[in-house]
Amino acid sequence: MQNEIQFLLNEDVVKINNIDPNTTVLKYLRDLKNLRGTKEGCASGDCGACTAVTVEIVKGRLVYRSINTCIMFLYSLHGKQLITVEHLKKNNKLHPVQRSMIDHNGSQCGFCTPGFIMSMFSMFKNREQTSKKNIDRYLTGNLCRCTGYKPINLATKNMYSYGKSDHFYKNEKNILNKLKSINRQNIKIKYFNKEFFIPSNLIDLKENIKQYNNCKFISGGTDIALEVTKRRKDFESIIYLGNNKDLKYIKIVDKNIVIGAATPINDTLNILKKYYPSIAEMYFRFGSLQIRNVATIGGNISNASPIGDSAPALISLDSSLIIEGNKTRTVKLKNFFLSYKKTLLKNNEFIKEIIIPIDKKSIFKCYKISKRFDDDISSVFMAINLKLYNNLINKIAITYGGMAATPKSAPNTEKFLKRKTFSYKNIILAKQYLERDFKPLTDMRASKNYRKIISQNLLEKFYLELTNNKKITVN
Amino acid sequence: MKNLDNLFSEKLPHESAEKHVSGLAKYTDDILEPTNTLYAAIGWSTVAKGSIVKIDLRDVIKSAGVCGVITERDIPGINDVGPVFKGDVIFSSKKIKYFGQPIFAVAADTTELARKAVLKAKIQYKKERPIIRIKEALEKKSYILKTRKFSNGNARKAIKNSQHKLIGESQTGGQDHLYLEGQVALAIPKEDNGLLIYSSTQHPSKTQQIVAKVLNQNFNTIDVHVRRIGGGFGGKETQSFMFAAISSLLAKKFNKPVKLRLDRDEDMILTGKRHDFYFKYEVGFSDNGKINGLDIILASRCGHSADLSEAINDRAIYNIDNAYYIPNVKLVSYRCKTNTVSNTAFRGFGAPQASFCIENIIDNISNFLKVDAYKIRYLNLYQKNNITHFGMKIKDNVINDIFNKLINSSNYKKRRKEIEKFNQSNKYIKKGLAITPAKFGISFTTTHLNQGGALVHIYTDGSIHLNHGGVEMGQGLMTKIAQITANSFGIKINNIKITSTNTEKVANTSASAASASTDINGAAVLNAINKIKDNLFSFIQNHFKFNGKIIKYKNNNIYFGKNKITFKKLINLAYLNRIPLSSSGFYKTPKIHVDKSTLKGRPFLYFCYGAAVSEVMIDTLTGENKLLKVDILQDVGNSINPSIDIGQIEGGFVQGLGWLTSEEVSWGNDGKILTFSPSTYKIPVMNDIPKNFNVKIYNKGINNENTINKSKAVGEPPLLLAISTYFAIKNAISYAKKNNKINLTAPATPENILNSINK
Ligand SMILES: Cc1cc2nc3c(=O)[nH]c(=O)nc-3n(C[C@H](O)[C@H](O)[C@H](O)COP(=O)(O)OP(=O)(O)OC[C@H]3O[C@@H](n4cnc5c(N)ncnc54)[C@H](O)[C@@H]3O)c2cc1C
Ligand code: FES
Ligand code: FES
Repeated sequence: MQNEIQFLLNEDVVKINNIDPNTTVLKYLRDLKNLRGTKEGCASGDCGACTAVTVEIVKGRLVYRSINTCIMFLYSLHGKQLITVEHLKKNNKLHPVQRSMIDHNGSQCGFCTPGFIMSMFSMFKNREQTSKKNIDRYLTGNLCRCTGYKPINLATKNMYSYGKSDHFYKNEKNILNKLKSINRQNIKIKYFNKEFFIPSNLIDLKENIKQYNNCKFISGGTDIALEVTKRRKDFESIIYLGNNKDLKYIKIVDKNIVIGAATPINDTLNILKKYYPSIAEMYFRFGSLQIRNVATIGGNISNASPIGDSAPALISLDSSLIIEGNKTRTVKLKNFFLSYKKTLLKNNEFIKEIIIPIDKKSIFKCYKISKRFDDDISSVFMAINLKLYNNLINKIAITYGGMAATPKSAPNTEKFLKRKTFSYKNIILAKQYLERDFKPLTDMRASKNYRKIISQNLLEKFYLELTNNKKITVN
Repeated sequence: MKNLDNLFSEKLPHESAEKHVSGLAKYTDDILEPTNTLYAAIGWSTVAKGSIVKIDLRDVIKSAGVCGVITERDIPGINDVGPVFKGDVIFSSKKIKYFGQPIFAVAADTTELARKAVLKAKIQYKKERPIIRIKEALEKKSYILKTRKFSNGNARKAIKNSQHKLIGESQTGGQDHLYLEGQVALAIPKEDNGLLIYSSTQHPSKTQQIVAKVLNQNFNTIDVHVRRIGGGFGGKETQSFMFAAISSLLAKKFNKPVKLRLDRDEDMILTGKRHDFYFKYEVGFSDNGKINGLDIILASRCGHSADLSEAINDRAIYNIDNAYYIPNVKLVSYRCKTNTVSNTAFRGFGAPQASFCIENIIDNISNFLKVDAYKIRYLNLYQKNNITHFGMKIKDNVINDIFNKLINSSNYKKRRKEIEKFNQSNKYIKKGLAITPAKFGISFTTTHLNQGGALVHIYTDGSIHLNHGGVEMGQGLMTKIAQITANSFGIKINNIKITSTNTEKVANTSASAASASTDINGAAVLNAINKIKDNLFSFIQNHFKFNGKIIKYKNNNIYFGKNKITFKKLINLAYLNRIPLSSSGFYKTPKIHVDKSTLKGRPFLYFCYGAAVSEVMIDTLTGENKLLKVDILQDVGNSINPSIDIGQIEGGFVQGLGWLTSEEVSWGNDGKILTFSPSTYKIPVMNDIPKNFNVKIYNKGINNENTINKSKAVGEPPLLLAISTYFAIKNAISYAKKNNKINLTAPATPENILNSINK
């Protein structure tokens, strides 16, 4: 057990343990290190002004991820390199992404610029092609209120023409060695009455949990950090799951996709895309890249938000969870949610794994409706899993988000449709059963009436798309 | 681009671009605070209307790290930061007029501790029923300012004599500024009762005056410095005063530097936004769609105080014609008082709302007559020398040419046919297309504000230090003015040092607003430069016995007769001969005048023109929509810096796009704002801009008036161009409906679009 964390702040090794565990990376940079190039625009993960890049070793290589420093806890940097905007320029030479930005007039007031630069930098380091899709994927997590984005878009499109190499490539070996030398043991930091525990494996995690009577688990922290930055809360004991090698994986076991609960969503997409392209497509709109680079499916399910996107999709796919704590148990996700923000999880229990059955014969689709297409919480989310037998509905699972206090399936509608012909008429008839299944509410995202109509129209859309073998979409 | 002077054709990047991209550009919160600095937070009302029964701050004071609190009682001067009218109290201890109204403030060792402490206040209220919405305010005759009646010609008669008339209503939504840098101020006590304030504000002079009045001190004891701000858009024209005042009050009380930085959510709760408007109209028009008369009511939500609402609503009156000649207008403008934050300046200042209204009327006329709306728009455009409803002769009209050019360059007519074909063969996805023109008058409509000052020093090595009253907020003001200076002296731009705008160097300035900052401050700088040049001219005549009339500043040299001397040498020589090398400058906009009782006259020096074509696609099952293509042609006169101007056009358009599509300010019936964070209030992101986004500067553009380089303002006008997107959406809806009556509530969110289809 160690009592300090270690990371690289740009190129320098930093060891710390004398800072409040509730401190965010952004606060650390700005207030404690006076590195004020990284900006705060919202402190809620929505604007990207605070973007920096973390570097980790994955399969022997350095992987660069853009992250929101405003909602990342400082101690979760353990074992990583953190690159901030100040570090891009070296020996008075600007980085290619910086030069491109200047040449394309990508900054006006300049407040969003460091964040954009870091997002572009992560794209550059991952050697991504500058297709429209990729540019949007990397940059929709950054807001700019001045430029209207076009010059930033062009700057990104043309960034490689300012050079394909940079001082980071030349220094990779050195960084690899420095990162490798960081100890991967368990870490426990005590700060007055507060504690931050980083277990490195499952056994030690389970062993240590017993000491706590009420600890807070953090995976990506994208949800929980808002308690600190917005609701001014202080957590006393935090267990950080994000460095736990036994909780970070995605693989195929038998006929299931199994995902370690602390795996960042972004790391699951390649495999999910293969089996359930619709869910992968949805995840590309989940938050922003900065969010997906750290946010986990485990966290998304555990926070039990009625508008969380993972749960309805995974319920329709008949997924299960492995829950650990005092003892191990497996539960169906559809039984996991009890009431608003309440789940089956008891104190000191955590999700270890998510199991998604693979069924190649079923048709799965999900739909996310939001005010803004990208990086917006759903007003209504629908996921359908359908199995036809000679055009008869053999099996159907319909689950909605945003329609009730929890993610919820539509039992009356499912029952009506089961064993009926998969026809336009029946789908239209099924709409009225949705009204029995849900009594949605009005909030700032949508009115109850809109939610009602959308929930019905999505059903119709699903039918039309399937029978015409063509997407009906503006996007 | 033709250029009157080729120095301006340089596509210079923003003066701070290199600092922006390296994280080295300092904003107020980045300035290293002195070591003994305290950090502040505000305690504000959680009800929208009522009175305070009891305030108990004991737990706040006891909270960790707290140095102390202040309330109304700690204000030595006036408890008001209203810029024009009184009514913006800093702290209330009795009446509560809106959700988010400040009641007290705390200073503590860190921002986090101050914010935590604030939550420990125990405040009891006696609640009253608030007035939140415009219609409620109209019913209850709740107004913050006198109702304005305006008329020109005889609208009633014109409508009566028209072949057709339409009656209708419409509304526009509010808009949060969402400048990326939130409100922040740092106040540092100095000698002799003085205070140095760093504030993120568009208006340093007013900050100085207001803080002085709040502290009951002379103006000359307060210095305000602003190097740059991270976006303003009108949201820091007056809304910043409250926070500068609170940090100053705390700094005074504890005799320590105090920084007050608002959390984003708090910023969105506490500060005013764009006025939302309700319109009710009757319009008379001929068979071919020519408007004869308009009888209209404009009502806006001003919030709990007047702030700038008078000028904003006046500008709405001035822009109700947008780019159209309307011979007879009768108009009533209600300025509604509601229990919400005080709505304020926002890029366009009432004009976008009014333009939206008349465009909607024209759109409805087109639907009624069943003709493509572009024809009705074209038919009603101003012709040369028409006189506006407020009595100003339009001498610089180029809207017809711009409109025609854009119809052609955008292939509007061909695309219309393609869209009709597409819509016939697609049941659920519909496309829409629209062109809208825009005209925008330049000058503050409050005449006395149209003045600016400058201060120019040339040091003996030939380097120049430049100051003026304008604030750099991303619009490229400093870059343009540095260009103007470099151009006048014929030297390179890197000889010019741009420094923070501050009240010690240039006094009594106006806000950086109304798009006129380059016009006004640039001219003031030129005035200062010309005074120095006069000195140098006499010096050259005397010293070199030169009796010619022409001296040229070019390529770092001064040419006179057959001689030349380098700029640096000349300056040094001038110094040795005791020639003054510093000067102040001043400028006031000529020609403008308004009769305050009728609003008629010439409120503007000139107009900017532009037009845009938008093509969209909507999903009739969900209301989701996508902007596919935009073509813009904008008149910026003879541009000083085309890259900066294009940036303003694109940025303004996208800001307007947000206002009319995804940005929805939502209020609960209890007066609490529901959208107070970028997680619920959605401004456009990169994927929302059209794949085809063609922005062109009108290449015949030239200002008839004597502005610098014959350029025109560019800040606000392009925002109006986004109105085309809204009407393209409305047009798409028309293909999905059987009847031709389309009501689409703005903003055109998926929900509002679907409602409109199903109505
Ligand atoms: C800008 C932004 C955009 C977002 N966009 C979306 C979106 O589009 N769709 C959507 O659904 N959500 C969205 N979210 C919210 C979303 O729930 C989280 O971002 C994310 O999925 C949570 O994962 P995390 O690992 O970060 O959770 P954390 O913040 O680490 O934890 C969330 C909760 O789950 C608990 N927890 C975490 N891991 C476990 C575990 N293994 N076992 C038991 N309990 C655990 C924590 O104690 C906490 O209560 C967004 C959030 C932000 C800030
Ligand atoms: S500050 Fe806005 S995302 Fe971090
Ligand atoms: S340049 Fe101002 S927010 Fe992007």
